[in-house]
Amino acid sequence: MMKDRSERRGKGEGRTFRRRGMGRRKVCRFCADKAMLIDYKDARGLGHFLSERGKIIPSRITGNCSRHQRQLTTAIKRARTVALLPFTAAYP
Amino acid sequence: MADRRYETLVVIHPDQGEPGVKELAARIRKLIEEQGGTIGQIQEWGVRDLAYVVAKQHRAFYLLFEYRATSKALAEIERNLKLTDSVLRLVSVRQAENAPPTPPRTVRRFEREDGEPEGADRENLGEEMP
Repeated sequence: MMKDRSERRGKGEGRTFRRRGMGRRKVCRFCADKAMLIDYKDARGLGHFLSERGKIIPSRITGNCSRHQRQLTTAIKRARTVALLPFTAAYP
Repeated sequence: MADRRYETLVVIHPDQGEPGVKELAARIRKLIEEQGGTIGQIQEWGVRDLAYVVAKQHRAFYLLFEYRATSKALAEIERNLKLTDSVLRLVSVRQAENAPPTPPRTVRRFEREDGEPEGADRENLGEEMP
């Protein structure tokens, strides 16, 4: 029993965790460029963080840090209330 | 009571036409001043396409007001605007005291020197894979 467990642990330590798929760590573009401000009035800039369906792209994909992602979501939601950004993809 | 910096973006029904909007802008200005606010600037964005249909309209006129007022005054200003029929939507946001005033519309954009489209660096990530 004891031996079993220690063996298992040994195996785990030996394993190397590699990032799958991506070669480079994504950086939050708002942290990288301080001049880039998050503003709900800037529909064009915010539009970069929307999917084709009009959904907010998760930070997992864009690489935004959580602080800026939070600011971004409120900005997008504000822009939506004044019809600068869509809630959903345009309806034919 | 401490006054704060606010800005309000107002979406106006396009049926008013240019003179109607001008008149409304003057009225809102008066409204803010009556509530003890001081106007910083008023920006006219002109008629813009809406992201979705509002009141059966595809386009609408946008007005931006920057001003200082108390929170009570803001509540009254918002209440009044909501009662105005030609005001379709509005959003009020408190601005940081040291925030620069909103630059005129034409230069309003994310400052990105490279004009790269969004997905671009996502593709690059794939290419750099060993």
